Amino acid sequence: MIRLEDVTRRYGDATAVDSLSLEVAEGEVCVLIGPSGCGKTTTLRMINRLIEPTSGRILVDGRDILSMPAEELRRGLGYVIQSIGLFPHLDVAANICVVPRLLGWEKARMAKRVDELLALVGLDPASYRDKYPRQLSGGEAQRVGVARALAADPPVLLMDEPFGAVDPLNRERLQSEFARIQRELRKTVIFVTHDIDEAIRLADKIAIMRDGKLQQFDTPEEVLNHPANKFVHDFVGSDRALKRLVRVRVADVMRSPATVLADANTLSLREAAGRRRFAYVVQPDGRLLGWLDTHGLAEGAPAADAMTIMDVAEASVRPDDSLRDALSRMLGLGFRAIAVTDRHGVLLGEVTFAAVEEAMTEGDEHISNQPVEDAE
Amino acid sequence: MGAMVALAGAAALPFLELRANRLVPGTAHSVAAAGPWSYLLWLLVGVGFLSAVAPTEKARAASSTASGYGIVIALAWGIGHAAVTLLAGEPPAARVSLGAGVWVLLAGTAILGFSGSEERRRKVVRWLAPLVLVAGAVVAAFVWGGLDRISLAREFSVRADSFWTLLGGHLAMSGVGLGFGLLFGVPLGLWATRNRHVRGVVLGVTGVIQTVPSLALLGLLIAPLAALSQAVPALRALGVRGIGATPGLIALTLYALLPIVRNTYVGLAEVDPGVIDAGRGMGMSSWQLLWRVEFPLALPLIVEGVRTAAVLLIGITTLTVFAGARNLGILIFEGLGQFAPDLILLGALPIIVLAIVADVALSALGRALTPEGVRA
Repeated sequence: MIRLEDVTRRYGDATAVDSLSLEVAEGEVCVLIGPSGCGKTTTLRMINRLIEPTSGRILVDGRDILSMPAEELRRGLGYVIQSIGLFPHLDVAANICVVPRLLGWEKARMAKRVDELLALVGLDPASYRDKYPRQLSGGEAQRVGVARALAADPPVLLMDEPFGAVDPLNRERLQSEFARIQRELRKTVIFVTHDIDEAIRLADKIAIMRDGKLQQFDTPEEVLNHPANKFVHDFVGSDRALKRLVRVRVADVMRSPATVLADANTLSLREAAGRRRFAYVVQPDGRLLGWLDTHGLAEGAPAADAMTIMDVAEASVRPDDSLRDALSRMLGLGFRAIAVTDRHGVLLGEVTFAAVEEAMTEGDEHISNQPVEDAE
Repeated sequence: MGAMVALAGAAALPFLELRANRLVPGTAHSVAAAGPWSYLLWLLVGVGFLSAVAPTEKARAASSTASGYGIVIALAWGIGHAAVTLLAGEPPAARVSLGAGVWVLLAGTAILGFSGSEERRRKVVRWLAPLVLVAGAVVAAFVWGGLDRISLAREFSVRADSFWTLLGGHLAMSGVGLGFGLLFGVPLGLWATRNRHVRGVVLGVTGVIQTVPSLALLGLLIAPLAALSQAVPALRALGVRGIGATPGLIALTLYALLPIVRNTYVGLAEVDPGVIDAGRGMGMSSWQLLWRVEFPLALPLIVEGVRTAAVLLIGITTLTVFAGARNLGILIFEGLGQFAPDLILLGALPIIVLAIVADVALSALGRALTPEGVRA
């Protein structure tokens, strides 16, 4: 889909990008990563001709990008940047419609597209479409930025540190939402970051750069398991086992736990729990309330009285979270398992410490490449 | 504060001056000359004092507004009454001129009027309605109250025909100068944002022009223009001469340049680079970016520059009289030549009013042109 052939960019005597060759297949997320000044952003900006290469060729969908007018090329490549760059004088809907307007879409089609996209990025269309950028939080603004890039449904997305300016908590949420959207839309994405965790989490392929030269171009697993040189080894860091966990989604390893209804009494409850010692207590609609230890239960009391109430938001993970998040929660709470819930608090399953250990030591079998049905 | 100034003016300074003719000094008369109106004036000044001690914000605003507008009306009728009384039995050449007390009283009133809450002035109807009322009362004082007997009004009635021509000339001169300033200033400001060398030259030269004294600039223009007009008959046919409107218009255009060029430059340069990058990256052409993004965002600052230039030009237009232009400046300079203070006032007062109107109107225009999304 995107092919860079011996691309070089010089500024005077300095070489920002040095005979770089890459090929990104359709539907793949390729993350360009490296320390500041390694040429990753220059590379990205050469693909939509914001910077012209000094030598070499860039092909998008088999066409040399120099063969078409720069504006036309850019309208077909979604563009998301760290500073977001929403137009402050236009409302959210008009911001999203910048490219559709350039392409001369009908009004009704644009309005429909705005609502679709806002829903896709997790913002309520009715309450957000008429807001102005200054009324949005950083995370909301970047969601609109992503929606804007997707507006004309371009096959390619170019993202330059899109979540770099967002606080860490929001960054993780944006990352998992991006992963969800990408599973759905299967765009070809070039994604620049300096955050190795982000790269490992989102990438199908990672291109590690240094001083304008490509150091390694491979899957995250290969980069973690077989770093090509000392630079890559050091760049990835020594906690490679932990980083592997970032690649595994909770949904891939969760199992169904023992559950009992809140109004069940302890007799039937022990049956429901089966051989397991711990059981989750849920409401009839499936929402998680707490857990209980089936040992030493008084006979006949309803489960609701015997259970330990838990703060569901704190003591559970989402299916889209990574195993590292799950491990971190377990360690923090001192549990050997953690509940998996959807955003309404409905219990979906649990992840055990044993499953995490297994993922850490075993190979890549845990990583499913098929899109997992979203629980929400 | 305003009430103090008004009180001091009314009590300590001469209110009116009765003179044997329009040129000689005369005898001072106090507020008492206004007869019954003087009591109303004292009362209204008292109401003004209430605004300082009133318990609620609403009461303060109401009393300052009431006394402010009331004083103007009482003053118009009181002066009229005094003029009629003082002139009774005097020869026709006798004049009644406004004394320092009236001006100080008016200044105090202006402070009172403006100290009313900011909120109130935002609503056009709220300040326009009393303004129309006051203007009506003052006009009525002219027609029925004897206000037409004061010296200023007599100077006006002698020159009623030429006054309107000169006012028109003043407006035309300032307006055309401003128009040329916009015509050249905005493109120059734009050019300055695109080219570093141009920026240095343009901002430097317009800054230097501003430091040349207006009379010197006019003087410098006369000789070359006269020579040009001699050499090129086509220009002469167009009315380009060393003496007349041409040197004045050129000087005014030059003076208008600095505020307009500088604000255009700053307005465009202050547009967030991220916004520009996003626009270019989405495939906007330079023109589309300029018209849809950069100009709308810079417009409030550009209008602010136009406002500064307009107020400046209305004042400087007065001086173009020296190069042969015909406008309100003529009245001022004739008045100076004849030692006739009321003639000077007849020229100066409309200029002040014009400047204030231009200031208020262009501020309002600036607010109206500020895109909703970037309003503070």
